[in-house]
Amino acid sequence: MKPLIICLQIGVLFIFSYIGTLIQHFFHLIIPGSIIGLLLLFLCLCLKVVPVQLIDQGAGFLLSILTLLFVPMTVGIMKYPFLLSWKGLLLFAAVLISTILTIGISGLSSQFFEKSAENRKEAQECNKRYTHSS
Amino acid sequence: MQQALYALLMILLTVACFFLMAKLYARFAFAFLIPVLTSTFLIIGILVAFHIPYESYMEGGKWINALLGPAVVALAFPLYRQRMFLKKHMFLIVGNVAIAGVVGMISVAVFSKWFHLSDSLSLSILPKSVTTPVAMAVADGLGGSASMAIVGVMIAGIFGAMLAPYIFHLFGVKSPVGRGIALGSASHAVGTSKAAEYSELAFSMGSVSMTLNAILSSLIGPVIAWLLFG
Repeated sequence: MKPLIICLQIGVLFIFSYIGTLIQHFFHLIIPGSIIGLLLLFLCLCLKVVPVQLIDQGAGFLLSILTLLFVPMTVGIMKYPFLLSWKGLLLFAAVLISTILTIGISGLSSQFFEKSAENRKEAQECNKRYTHSS
Repeated sequence: MQQALYALLMILLTVACFFLMAKLYARFAFAFLIPVLTSTFLIIGILVAFHIPYESYMEGGKWINALLGPAVVALAFPLYRQRMFLKKHMFLIVGNVAIAGVVGMISVAVFSKWFHLSDSLSLSILPKSVTTPVAMAVADGLGGSASMAIVGVMIAGIFGAMLAPYIFHLFGVKSPVGRGIALGSASHAVGTSKAAEYSELAFSMGSVSMTLNAILSSLIGPVIAWLLFG
C-alpha cells in the first residue's frame, strides 16, 4: 500500500513540475519550470488548496533519495577529461575562493543584522519601561 | 525489448553502485567518501571498462533524471513545514540569503573571468551555491552544461562544509543564525547538514536558506549572467 501511495504522490509532484514547465515555456521565462512548480505547490499548501497529506509521503521519499537522482548527471563529467588538467584546477580555485567569500560575508552580515535587530528590540523595551515609570 | 532491458540494466547499475557506496560512507563517514562522488567514479570506471559510451548509459539514466523535476517541487514540503519559522525571521533570512546569493554568483563570475575560463564553463559554475537539481536547471537555462554545474555544486558543498569552521573563526562569526544562513546559502544541502552539527536553530536556518537561495538564484542568476557575460 505504501509504495503505491508514494508513486501516486510523486505523480502529483510531476503534475506541478509539468505545469511549471508549461508556464515557463508560455511566458518564455529563464526560471526553471521545476522552481515555478515549487512556488505553486508552496502557495497551494499555504492556501490549503492542496492538503499536505496529498504530497507528504511522496515528497519525503524523493528528498530522501535526492542524491541518488544526481548520479546519472554527475557521471556526465566523464565527457570532460580536461577537469584533470590545469584548467580544471583553475575552475576548482574559482569555486573554492568564491565559496569561502560567500560563507564569510553572509555569515558576518547575518550576525550583524541579528544583533542590530536584538539591540533595537532592547532599546524599545527600555523606552517602554521608561515611559511607564514616568 | 532489448533496448528496454539495457535501460533497466543501467538503472540497476546506478542504484546498486549508489547504495553500495552509501554503505561504505555509513561505515567510514569521511567527507571525501560521500556517495555521489564515489558512486560516480565507480560507474565511470565500469562504463570505461566495458566500453559503454555515456550516451548509451543515459538510455537508462534519463529515467532517473526524470525524477529531478518532481524532486525540486518536493522542496516545497520542508519549506511549508517551516513556514512559521520563516515568517518570524523573514527580513533577516531573505535579506541575508540575497546578499549571499549575489556575493556568491558575482565572485565566482569575476574569478572565472580573471582565470580566463570559457563563457559556457563560467555560466555552468555560476549557480554553484544552489542545490543540485536547481543548479542543473539554472545552468542549462543560462547556456552552460548541467554536468559541469554539478562539478561546481559539489566543490562548493563539500569544501564549504569542510572549511566552514575555519572560515567562521577567521571572520569571527559566532552566532548560530549567521552560521546557519551562511552554510545553507553557500553550500546548500551539504552545508545544511554541517549546520546541524552546531545546533537545531542553525539547521533550520540552513535548510530554509538553502531553499530560498535556490529560488532567489534562479531569479538573480539570469540578470548577473546578462550583466557579466551578456
